[in-house]
Amino acid sequence: MDPLSSGIQEPFDLIRLSLSERVFVKLRGDREMTGILHAYDGHMNLILSDVEETIMIVDEGAAGTVSVAKRKMDMLFVRGDGVILVSPPSRT
Amino acid sequence: MDETPPPPADSTPPPPPISHTGSPTDFLKGVVGKRVIVRLNSGVDYRGVLSCLDGYMNIALEQTEEHVNGKVTNRYGDAFIRGNNVLYISADEPL
Amino acid sequence: MASQILPLELIDRCIGSQIWVIMKGDREFTGTLLGFDDFVNMVLEDVTEYQITAEGRKSNKLAQTLLNGNNICMLIPGSTGPEDS
Repeated sequence: MDPLSSGIQEPFDLIRLSLSERVFVKLRGDREMTGILHAYDGHMNLILSDVEETIMIVDEGAAGTVSVAKRKMDMLFVRGDGVILVSPPSRT
Repeated sequence: MDETPPPPADSTPPPPPISHTGSPTDFLKGVVGKRVIVRLNSGVDYRGVLSCLDGYMNIALEQTEEHVNGKVTNRYGDAFIRGNNVLYISADEPL
Repeated sequence: MASQILPLELIDRCIGSQIWVIMKGDREFTGTLLGFDDFVNMVLEDVTEYQITAEGRKSNKLAQTLLNGNNICMLIPGSTGPEDS
């Protein structure tokens, strides 16, 4: 067994242990969000609540200036195929 | 992984011939718990300690640093990476 | 009837030697092939990764690496890669 991780035997354990917690989610298309994780499945379809989404808008013109847009959603379904990364709240 | 002894010989199908070591499965067994570089198809790198992974190459990493163009852009205590994004997993310390 | 050889048998015979891997995108890899599976996920050693850009070729050295078979396009057994040709 891996001594480093606390009871994680497969990657989905990381997600299971994050249920009801605020998670950080990175999606394709430079979207990032945090929200409370309520449900997930094997595709990594997610149900999040109290979501704050961050959208990076890169201006193609002058030296690629990046502006950030934020918006909030009460309840959100995320389709799994767009998910790149999910990070649970830090255990430290 | 599974350190259990193999079940009695009469209950198992003949094992596949061991033609060579160094298969993806062997590599992954050896690399769990080690520092790795995971590069995604987008070119973004995640460096951290490999906790575990599954058959889809979904990955759990610890002490993760996100590198974009050689710069650290994020740090995560734990990170789940969905396998379809993974280009490669490379050992970042001697195996 | 000519003796049939499956494509992956050829790759199996390449284990232990140099191989050049060309991905679907603008990336290439060379290294010593240690093994592969039915999805053609490959384990390579002493790897060089090449990123082909408009400015030229960027290379990057890697130790033992598991390459996802999903985006592999072509394999050239016995070749040391783009610097070879």
